[in-house]
Amino acid sequence: MGLVESGKVPKPLTSLLSTSRKFSLWMYQWGLACCAIEMAAAFMPRYDVMRLGVIPLPASPRQSDLLCVSGTLTDKMAPPLRRLYEQMPDPKYVISMGSCANCGGPYWDSYSVTKGCDQIVPVDIYVPGCPPRPETLLEAIVLLQEMIQNEDMGERWRGDPIVLR
Amino acid sequence: MSSADAPAPEATAVEPEAEPTDDIRSGLLATLELELGEAIVESHLKPGIGLWVRVTTEAWNDAAVAARDKLGCTFFDFLSGIDWMPSPFGRYEVADIDTEVSLAEKVAAARAADRISGYAGGDTRFQVFARVVNVTAHHDVVLKCDVPEDTLTVPTWSRTYAGSNWHEREACEMFGIRFDGHPDLRKLYLPGEFEGHPLRKDFPLLSRVVKPWPGIVDVEPMPGEVAADGDAAEEEVDG
Amino acid sequence: MTLTQRDELRAYAHHATDARVNVELETEGMTLNIGPQHPATHGTLRIVAKLDGEQVIAAEPITGYMHRGYEKLVEVRTWPQINTLVNRIDWVGSFSNEVPFILACEQLMEIEAPPRARAIRTILFELARIANLVLFAGDMALQLGAQTAAMYAFRDREYVLNLLESASGGRFHPNFDRIGGLKDDLPKGWIDDTRAALVKIREFCDEMDLLVTGNEIFEARTRGVGIIPADVALSYGLSGANLRASGIDWDLRRDGGISGLAYDDVDWKVWTHPDGDCFARYWVRLQEIREAAHITEQLLDKLPAGPIMAKVPRIVKVPAGEAYVETENPLGAMGFYVISAGDLGPFRVKIRTPSFNNISVASWVMRGVYVPDIVTILASLYFILGDIDR
Repeated sequence: MGLVESGKVPKPLTSLLSTSRKFSLWMYQWGLACCAIEMAAAFMPRYDVMRLGVIPLPASPRQSDLLCVSGTLTDKMAPPLRRLYEQMPDPKYVISMGSCANCGGPYWDSYSVTKGCDQIVPVDIYVPGCPPRPETLLEAIVLLQEMIQNEDMGERWRGDPIVLR
Repeated sequence: MSSADAPAPEATAVEPEAEPTDDIRSGLLATLELELGEAIVESHLKPGIGLWVRVTTEAWNDAAVAARDKLGCTFFDFLSGIDWMPSPFGRYEVADIDTEVSLAEKVAAARAADRISGYAGGDTRFQVFARVVNVTAHHDVVLKCDVPEDTLTVPTWSRTYAGSNWHEREACEMFGIRFDGHPDLRKLYLPGEFEGHPLRKDFPLLSRVVKPWPGIVDVEPMPGEVAADGDAAEEEVDG
Repeated sequence: MTLTQRDELRAYAHHATDARVNVELETEGMTLNIGPQHPATHGTLRIVAKLDGEQVIAAEPITGYMHRGYEKLVEVRTWPQINTLVNRIDWVGSFSNEVPFILACEQLMEIEAPPRARAIRTILFELARIANLVLFAGDMALQLGAQTAAMYAFRDREYVLNLLESASGGRFHPNFDRIGGLKDDLPKGWIDDTRAALVKIREFCDEMDLLVTGNEIFEARTRGVGIIPADVALSYGLSGANLRASGIDWDLRRDGGISGLAYDDVDWKVWTHPDGDCFARYWVRLQEIREAAHITEQLLDKLPAGPIMAKVPRIVKVPAGEAYVETENPLGAMGFYVISAGDLGPFRVKIRTPSFNNISVASWVMRGVYVPDIVTILASLYFILGDIDR
C-alpha cells in the first residue's frame, strides 16, 4: 500500500477501501463470562450478526480485525488478552462488551478482577449492560462501521504509532 | 422424608411443649459417637434440618472414614473453612481514606475482640467444615473441626474422598490452612504472584477502602420529595 | 450394548492409565496446552495434557481464569444485594442460582413463601433448567462438529428467554426471587405463552433425537468414552445429570426435602442411565429437558391463587445461625451454606457449586483417552466457568 504510506490516498479510493473494510470485519470472540452467551446469541439465527458483514468465527487472532472482549476480565486472564491482541494485524478494533469489561461491573470491589479491559487494550466502543442485549452489540457494530467509514487511512498511518501502555 | 416425620396435627395439639425430635439424625449421632467416642467435642442437632458434629483436629480424617463407612455417606459435598474473627472493616460503611484509624489498627482491634462461634461451637479462629451425604438413605452430616492456631494444619481428606483434593487446595489458598498429607497444595484460582489469603477477615478489599459503596447511604432525596419529608421517609424505612 | 460389554468398559476405566497407554512403541512425550482461550473449552478453562502419541497420559484442568471472589464479595453486601450477585454464577440458568440462597435465608428467618410463589418459583426454576440444558444439547453437538444443532438450540432458547424476560424484566439475569416470595406476579397472558413455548421445546428435543442421538458419528464418539463408575462419581462429589448418568438415582428435587419448591405436587420421573459414558450424560440431560417441560405444564394447570409474598420486614435481617440448602440446579447440586451473625449481611457464605466438583474428576477420567476425546468429555461433563471458579 504505497499510496497509504505516502499519505496521498485519493478520497474516492479511501472511501472505497473503508467501505470494503467495514463490511468484512473478522471478529475474534473473547468470550469470558455471561456476555459470551449474549454474544453467541448475536451470531445465531435470531440476531444474525453476519448480515452486518461481520464474520464471527476466525480460526486465529492473526486473521481477525475486531476483538470483542465480553465478560469479566480477571487479573489472571489479562496477560493472555494482551498477548493475543498483539498478534492481531493492524488496523484492529476493540469492542468492550458488558459492564465487567468496561469497568469491573458488579465485581468493582473484587480482589481478582481487572477493573476494565481498557487498562490492557485500547478500546474503541464500549457496550453497556449486564449483560447487554444482542441488539446492543449490533448497534455497537454499526457504530464501529461508521467510525471505520469516516476514518482517514492515511491519517492512521501517519499518526503516532499505537503504543500500549 | 419430611412429611413422614412430621408429627400429626392432633399430637401437637395435645402436647404443645413437646420438643420436636428427629430419630434419623439422633441415630446418626449415636453411630458416630459409638465409632469416634471421645473425639467428638460437641454436636448440634436441629430436628428436621440438620446435624452438626465437631470433632478434634486429630480425628478429622477418622470422622470422614466413619461417616463414609458407618453412615454410608459416600457422596462428598464440599469442604471449606471459616474465619471466625469479626470483620475489622465492618461492611466498609466509611471510606477508610478519610478516617484516622489505620487498617493495621483496625485489624488489631478485631483480633482482640470477642469471637462468635457457630453451631457445635469452636475454640479457634479458623475452622474447617465439610458436608457428606448418603444418597440412598438421603441423610447428611456437617462435620467441623478446629484448626490449631500455631500450625494451621489439619489432616487431609484426600485419601478418603477423592473430591476433597480441589476443595482443600481452595481452602489452603483462601484461608492459608494447610492440609497434612495432601499431595499437591498448589494455588487453584489466583495468579502465582498473588499475596495473602482473600477469605481471611483481615484481608481488605482495597477498592472499598478507597471508596465506599455509594448505595449504602441514600443522601439524595427522591425526586419530588421536599427536605421536610426526609424525616418521614426515614421513619418509614426504620419501621 | 450388553451388560458384559458394559462391565468390560468399566474395568477399562478402572485401569485407564496403564492399560490403555501404548507402551510398545517408544514415543516421545509431548505437552499440549488447550486454552485458556480456546473454542473447544467454551469458557476460559485451560487444559494441560501430557500426550504419548495420540493418547493422553495425564491431563489437568487449570482453573481460576474466571475467579471473581464471590465468597468475599457477599460478605460486604446486604442480603438483597447478594441476590443480584449470585445470579451470575451459572449464567445460563440464572434463576436457579437465586433459589438455594433465598431458601437458606428463609430457613434461618423461619418464613415460608405462599403456595402461589412456590409454584411460580418452581416454574421459573424449570424454565431456567430448560434454557440451560437446551444450550448444553446444542453445545455438545457443536463440540463434535455438528453446527446445526447449536443453531437450533439458540433459536429455541430464545423462546424461554422471552418468557423469563416478560415475567421478570431480565432476559438473562432475572433477579426475581425474594426472601419470602417473588418480586411480582406473572404478567397477563404469560401462561398461554409458556404453553406455546413448551411445544417448541418439545419439538427441539425431537429434532435433537433425529439429528444427533442416533447419528453414527455421534454415537461412535460418545459411546464408551469417558466412563465414570458410580463409586468414583460419588467420591468426587459429581452431582446432577453426571451422577445420574452413572446409575445413581438421586435427585434433590425429589429427595432433598426442600419445602420452598412445589415438586411434591406434580408427577414426574428421575431419569438415570447405567453406562456412565459421554452418551449417557447427553441422553440423561435430553430427557431432563422433556421432564422439565412436563413439570412446568402440570404446574401451569394447577397454579394456586393467592399472594406471592409472605410478610417480610422491609429491611431484611437474617437471625444468627447456620443453614445449608441445596437444590437440584441444571448443572447439579448447588448449595449455599449461610452463616449469619444477625447483621444486615451474612458473616460467611460458602457457595457449593456443582461444576467445581464435576470438573475435578476430569483429570481422573481423561487418563488414557485420545486427544479428540478430551473435547467430548469436557462437553459432556458440562461446566459453566463461573460455576467452577465463582
